[in-house]
Amino acid sequence: MVNVLELAGVTKKFGDLAAVDDLSFAVREGEVFGFLGGNGAGKTTSIRMVLDILRPTAGTISVLGRAPGRENSRDIGFLPEERGLYRQMKVIDTITYFGRLKGMSASAARSHGRELLARFGLADNEKTAVDKLSKGMAQKVQLATALVNRPRLLILDEPFSGLDPVNQGLLEHEITRAAHDGATVIFSTHVMQHAERLCDRLLLIAKGAKRFEGSQDEARATLPARLSVVARSSPAALPGVAGATAVDAPVDGWQQWDVALDPGVDPGAVLERCTISGVALRRFEPRRATLHDVFIHLVGTDADAGSVAA
Amino acid sequence: MINHILLVAAREFRQIAMTRSFWLTLLILPVALAIGPLTQRFMSKDDPDRVMLIDRTGGSTAQAIEARFDLERQRSILTDLSRYVQRYHLDAAAPQALWSQHDRWYSDADVARFVADGGVAAAQAKLTVAAPEDTPAFKPDKPDYAFVAPPPAVAQSSDATVDAALQPLLHPTAKDAKPLDYAVLIPADFGSSPLVRLWANGNAGPRFVGTLQPVLTQQLRGRYLQANGLSPAAAQTASDIAPALSISTPPPGGGARERVLIRSILPLVACYMLMMSLMLSGSWMLQGTVEERSNKLLETVLACVSPEELMYGKLVGTVGIGLSMIAVWMLCGIGAAYATQGAIADMIRPALEPLNSVGTIATMIYFFVAGYVAIAMIFLTIGAMSDSMRDAQGYLTPVLMAILIPITILIQGILSGGGGIGIEVLTWIPIYTPFAVLARLGSGLPAWEVVATGVLLAAFIAVELVLLGRLFRASLLAAGQRPNVKTMLNRMRA
Repeated sequence: MVNVLELAGVTKKFGDLAAVDDLSFAVREGEVFGFLGGNGAGKTTSIRMVLDILRPTAGTISVLGRAPGRENSRDIGFLPEERGLYRQMKVIDTITYFGRLKGMSASAARSHGRELLARFGLADNEKTAVDKLSKGMAQKVQLATALVNRPRLLILDEPFSGLDPVNQGLLEHEITRAAHDGATVIFSTHVMQHAERLCDRLLLIAKGAKRFEGSQDEARATLPARLSVVARSSPAALPGVAGATAVDAPVDGWQQWDVALDPGVDPGAVLERCTISGVALRRFEPRRATLHDVFIHLVGTDADAGSVAA
Repeated sequence: MINHILLVAAREFRQIAMTRSFWLTLLILPVALAIGPLTQRFMSKDDPDRVMLIDRTGGSTAQAIEARFDLERQRSILTDLSRYVQRYHLDAAAPQALWSQHDRWYSDADVARFVADGGVAAAQAKLTVAAPEDTPAFKPDKPDYAFVAPPPAVAQSSDATVDAALQPLLHPTAKDAKPLDYAVLIPADFGSSPLVRLWANGNAGPRFVGTLQPVLTQQLRGRYLQANGLSPAAAQTASDIAPALSISTPPPGGGARERVLIRSILPLVACYMLMMSLMLSGSWMLQGTVEERSNKLLETVLACVSPEELMYGKLVGTVGIGLSMIAVWMLCGIGAAYATQGAIADMIRPALEPLNSVGTIATMIYFFVAGYVAIAMIFLTIGAMSDSMRDAQGYLTPVLMAILIPITILIQGILSGGGGIGIEVLTWIPIYTPFAVLARLGSGLPAWEVVATGVLLAAFIAVELVLLGRLFRASLLAAGQRPNVKTMLNRMRA
């Protein structure tokens, strides 16, 4: 599969501070790629380098097979974390303007802009000045400016921050739609739920350095499996069990346990050993790790990596 | 790249052109041109000042005063006539006539000769024959003073009661009555006593007093000399003795001074317009960039255009706005010159004469545009360093002061005919060069100096674009950081 974006050994320093440190990863064509990290992890700086807004101190970047530059803008849609529009401009003029900056003709940009506005329920507002729109409406217009050129690569920097639930749903739908239409989508977030729902693959960074790159399953596999067990006796002594913590008080002699397994141990093997050892069970439930668990496991605490939200 | 620059420029232009302040600014000059003549009419006094002379010496002093005021009026008419003849190239009508001798002081003898030759009526007759059809006729200004005879109540009053008799005339109660502006009482003992009484309906005008005083002095001297044994004729001759000043002035700039002044108007106006349009559009330039920063738009824009394209686009857009404003003002001026009559049109038409010279036009356009770019670049950079208009004003005020104060002094210096070292120095400081060259263009600036300062200015703009371009680029995304001088210098080096 072709790589749409590749970073190799990219470092960006501001004075003595390395905002991005020897970062390498690749995004494949057509996938939805999550760029995860806490606040200040280096996500926005990396995206700015991809867009040629900032130049790396070291390393190379390839975007759509080319070096970063404005000539790529005709194939890229970008929604920044900090959003704003020209307040005095009319909605359709704003979308057309950004379409034209991305190399579209005025008529094509206007025409697709109208389609997008109709899709976002803003068809009646195309001639409204931006400063007359509600915040939610303005967010949709901003999304339209990113999508107007039917981008091959859609880059969204913290796209869900500040959106109300309705607009979050709209954005998720648009990301899915863009991917379905063949676009590659990269979005940065520190909200793990969004990444869980949308990403094919993801990258975890902290302090500007890569901590993980791969699929969600591969991410979860980095964590030892956990079990929720209700048993008469402690499973802590069983082979393959790293530890067992009692949860709540026992009821009629039955105790609930939170069981941590040794790395690589299959929960089925533990169940078999319970049977052989005569550990009476009422419940044996393998627990799937969340991306939040993975993040905390790989990146560490808030103090190390900025804050993340489950 | 060009496409991006033009797109940014067009958006910038449209955004400014949509503001109310732009249209208000644009209409300032046309409105001024339209209401100028009206204001002039309302401001000027239609009626002459009414003067009453109460001469109790027999009437000779009053006659002398009236004769002097008439002589001054004829001198003023002769001077205006000379300017009219010069403006419309009518010297050929009577090359030897006094009014064909321009830029000179007309002595009392000259004025007497003018009157003896038939005065303005005779001159008009000659000029009508020689003038082309579309030449407006010469109209002498209305007289400033009208002499009224004392009514019996005043004439028959004593020196003690004359004040009471004059009060109803100075301050009439009837609404439609015209008040007296001046009353002069020359007492019967004038000569043995120097006392003359003057009543003024308000402040006594210096011109009135200045004309009256020498006549009274002359009369007083004559009477004194007669009282000391001189015959009346000898006393009159002695009191009339005055130096006959022969005044010679070199022809300024190879032509008449007034002509040079009028030809200087357009470059001076261009200088003023450059200053005005920069002051007015400076805040628009700031607003565009500040809005992009404060509205967090920059990242979206910079994903599509480079900082250089953004900067040049803004520069082109704002220069376009400035030039459009000037173009509209110029068109209004030309329209006013050719569509109207009167003093403004008379002044504008010859002032537009420099537009017949391609060299002058090219020089004016070059220095105007270069001046605009040089200063607009500073404003744009201020915008790029500011998170809000308040921030921007903090930088803008001292910068504007540093630019405008020397320019105002420069223009005043040039208008007052000075050509000192200060003006020469400012001409060679690139940021002031456009203003100095434009302001000096009409009064004669050597060609080599125009070329040399033009080259220096171009080099300055090139360096400015590089250094301020770096500062602009580095400051764009540095939101929330108000740079100090050291930071600015570092950004320029980066």
